[in-house]
Amino acid sequence: MSGCELFLRTAAAAARSCRALVAFTASHRALRTSPPSRAFAKELFLGKIEKKEVFPFPEVGQEELNEINQFVAPVEKFFTEEVDSQKIDREGKIPHETLEKLKSLGLFGMQVPEEYGGLGLSNTMYARLGEIISLDASIAVTLAAHQAIGLKGIILAGSEAQKAKYLPKLASGEHIAAFCLTEPASGSDAASIQTRATLSEDKKHYVLNGSKVWITNGARANIFTVFAKTSIVDSDNSVKDKITAFIVERDFGGVTNGKPEDKLGIRGSDTCEVHFENTRVPVENVLGEVGGGFKVAMNILNSGRFSMGSAVAGMLKKLIEMTTEYACVRKQFNRSLSEFGLIQEKFALMAQKAYVMESMAYLTAGMLDQPGFPDCSIEAAMVKVFSSEGAWQCVSEALQVFGGSGYMKDCPLERILRDTRILLIFEGTNEILRMYIALTGLQHAGRILTARINELKRGNVTTIMETVGQRLRDSLGRTVDLGLTGKLGAVHPTVADSANKLEENVYYFGRTVETLLLRFGKTIVEEQMVLKRVANILINLYGMTAVLSRASRSIRVGLRNHDHEVLLANMFCTEAYYQNLFSLSQLDKYAPENLDEQIKKVSQQILEKRAYICAHPLDRTS
Amino acid sequence: MRKPVALAGGCPTSRGMSWAQASLLARGLCRGWGGICGAALTGAPFSQVPPQAPRGLHCSTAAHHSDSSLVPRPPEPPRRPAKALALHEELFRQAPDGARDKASFVQAVQKFGQHNVHRRGHVDFIYLALRKMREYGVERDLAVYNLLLDVFPKEVFRPRSVLHSIFIHYPRQQECGIAVLEQMENHGVMPNKETEFLLLQIFGRKSYPMLKFVRMKLWFSRFKNINPFPVPRDLPQDPVELARLGLRHMEPDLSARVTIYQMPSSKDLTGVADPTEPHIVGIQSPDQQAALARHNPARPIFVEGPFSLWLRDKCVYYHILRADLLPPEEREVEETPEEWNLYYPMQLDLDYGRSGWDDYEFDIDEVEEGPVFAICMAGAHDQATLAKWIQGLQETNPALAEIPVVFRLAGSTGELLAPSSGLEEPSPPPPEGQEDEEDSQQQRQQQGQS
Repeated sequence: MSGCELFLRTAAAAARSCRALVAFTASHRALRTSPPSRAFAKELFLGKIEKKEVFPFPEVGQEELNEINQFVAPVEKFFTEEVDSQKIDREGKIPHETLEKLKSLGLFGMQVPEEYGGLGLSNTMYARLGEIISLDASIAVTLAAHQAIGLKGIILAGSEAQKAKYLPKLASGEHIAAFCLTEPASGSDAASIQTRATLSEDKKHYVLNGSKVWITNGARANIFTVFAKTSIVDSDNSVKDKITAFIVERDFGGVTNGKPEDKLGIRGSDTCEVHFENTRVPVENVLGEVGGGFKVAMNILNSGRFSMGSAVAGMLKKLIEMTTEYACVRKQFNRSLSEFGLIQEKFALMAQKAYVMESMAYLTAGMLDQPGFPDCSIEAAMVKVFSSEGAWQCVSEALQVFGGSGYMKDCPLERILRDTRILLIFEGTNEILRMYIALTGLQHAGRILTARINELKRGNVTTIMETVGQRLRDSLGRTVDLGLTGKLGAVHPTVADSANKLEENVYYFGRTVETLLLRFGKTIVEEQMVLKRVANILINLYGMTAVLSRASRSIRVGLRNHDHEVLLANMFCTEAYYQNLFSLSQLDKYAPENLDEQIKKVSQQILEKRAYICAHPLDRTS
Repeated sequence: MRKPVALAGGCPTSRGMSWAQASLLARGLCRGWGGICGAALTGAPFSQVPPQAPRGLHCSTAAHHSDSSLVPRPPEPPRRPAKALALHEELFRQAPDGARDKASFVQAVQKFGQHNVHRRGHVDFIYLALRKMREYGVERDLAVYNLLLDVFPKEVFRPRSVLHSIFIHYPRQQECGIAVLEQMENHGVMPNKETEFLLLQIFGRKSYPMLKFVRMKLWFSRFKNINPFPVPRDLPQDPVELARLGLRHMEPDLSARVTIYQMPSSKDLTGVADPTEPHIVGIQSPDQQAALARHNPARPIFVEGPFSLWLRDKCVYYHILRADLLPPEEREVEETPEEWNLYYPMQLDLDYGRSGWDDYEFDIDEVEEGPVFAICMAGAHDQATLAKWIQGLQETNPALAEIPVVFRLAGSTGELLAPSSGLEEPSPPPPEGQEDEEDSQQQRQQQGQS
């Protein structure tokens, strides 16, 4: 076991030389305050494709690939042979030996820089390992709570001293971290955080009081990243409550746990309440600036999401193996299930979803690994939304293939289904992330279009004529060419049709965004159903870009089964294209497809009475 | 159930239309012949209770007085001996043990049929029975109405030719049939298939009772659930339960909690409560509680009332705890916190808003009113009782202890008081003599509270 660890560490050391730069940038990522101007997703809102960012599909060098495979092999072996997910689910805890083995494999410090004893993996490598770790959801969640959010604050915002003090033990797994943000009254609403930290008389300590709920690793953790309100004296001498992040050790005293929560899925992960009662936190343990906790929390939450794509893809690949086996063996009417069209359809769906989310995840990871702190939070959120929803849909379909036996506890599908449900909820619910995706993009587009929209509103004749002319040309059926196809285009000719669909969608999406901004301006924040559609279109566009980029690369470098990839890519692009067309037409004013008004009315009537208000079908008036 | 409606729908077509036109024509003719026939078909025959009964064709000499009562008075037949009516009365008096319930009513109606094989005087009997229904508590019983209709002889009054149906055939009987249906309507009883069958047998398809029936079928179904705030048909007798119902009826927020601050001391259902300890039932929603907690203690709040609330045929009185609207300069502007949503921006940093074309807000002149913090219903409307309510409220609203409470009560209990509309308007002056007492009580109250 220790040999294995040694092996991993030497491999990591070997990798260090060749990718020192990447590792350096990854480990020294500071808090981002101003995003760089050119980001792919944001440019889509203007109807432009920022080709440089996404074409060609990011590659890793041969050495790095070997290194990744060396990492992956022992981990995969461990997960397939030694981890008993069924038992973890049944008993509601991960066995001690399993945790020890995970620590020895170095999986508790995957993204901790090497100088602090971690593996210092790049985002791409982290995504690759995530594929394996996700084979057991409880372990994946435990590890993610530890390093994707629990200790991430120290990496992102910690001082040198804090890093040196905490990271080595956290990376080795000797200490486990937890992220304490959610409170009974505060989910995503930071203003209602009740936990308070008050500066002691001698100004050397903060005294922390409050309760946090649903803390993963809450009972196991030694180090907590805690967010609490502190009184800050502003520049204009007014006292304000602002959020500050703290690194809290369990040994500081006054830290207690509630009993473990009984959950639907991920039952092996340890979730409980954590209470802080007069916990004395030294001032050195303030994470980032005093009063700067909000940004720290946002950055931590935004940074970890992309990995869900590869994790779900890894799970889906395993799922496809299990389900195909059943479908080929099980016979009905002297035919195996695999011969029925309605069963075949489900496999195509699973393969397509897996392909798209994998492409999106690795494209995003590749973007994140580029030098100069790229802001890919929209992309990461899109990956999260797409992959979590794809996971739920695919697992449900797979269970359907199993039929009645899938519903039984003996079948692993039942557990996977329960485990998958959390993906739609944690790390920001999908609804909230859709708002984030749409609003962040609209903010970007709105700023750039300000001048133009103001001119249109003032009634500048030239601008209006220009816009009308453009609309007229659009309605007369212009062909959109954003330069993806053609000779020496970014996209391989095999998927050129799909690329044209993408270009058309992107162009009209840009037009629609402009119209929406013109119509709603800043009040678009209140139009959540509009924002949902904007986010859905954007997710589809990003997915289309990712698969086109990946399929083009696969064809060009001649990867195995690239024709299959082309099929999947074209299939997804066509589906997404028509979905987008529908969504775009719904976004038109007075669109007959748009049922928002009716939807609002129905829900309003129901919520007013807090019940289903239709009379029973058997009721009579006499 | 669809059949009668369908029939009604079918009516305006060919035959039905000509029938209606013919009847109009006939009415015109009747008016023309006024003197000859001595029959003034005043008013539309379609009206269910014509102010004056159409007489004439069949020379019923009954003079029909309709008065304000729900049941039209039976015609007083001058020729018919008063004995007949008294005889009918006798039928109702014959109940063995003097009980007045459905069984004895049904028995009376059945006896009429047995005693009177020729059904002589059935119209008078039905009118009498209609008036008696309420006494027997069967005014909402469909079966009893059907039984009453069954008293009519069958097939006799059916029009046998077009002329019969044009000139009202047996108007007195038809009118009586309409009166039965009308009483059903007034008590919200929906006729059923049996009613339809009886009417068909008695009056035939083309008759006014049938028309009335069809209309009832049509409109009852449409109006039955027209009230978005339905009140149960049988109101609770217990004043506490009634108050609970009334308060729930007024409060739109479903999270509001009803609290019984004081139970009436004598808990019998007769409603005779000890006047010293009347019931006090209040309602308050969490939002109101929060608003009260935010209230500036320097500004007084008012207990006002009693205001009246009608629940079916019962009137209950309530009091409100309210404050004046804050003057604009004192209102706190709700500012959005800078760091609010961890996941997405709550507002966009753009300098242009919604375009006029997408602004569907109507320009409504809204009159703002001061907040209402709680409502209560009490058995007595004096200040002592209401002070107990305020004391009870203090348990859940600690802020109330610091806020001066002014009682602005209307003079005598049970009197209706128009809600004061303007804020500047002085509260309705309490009756002389009570003012001083009230002031001193108020001061005591405030001293006690502060």
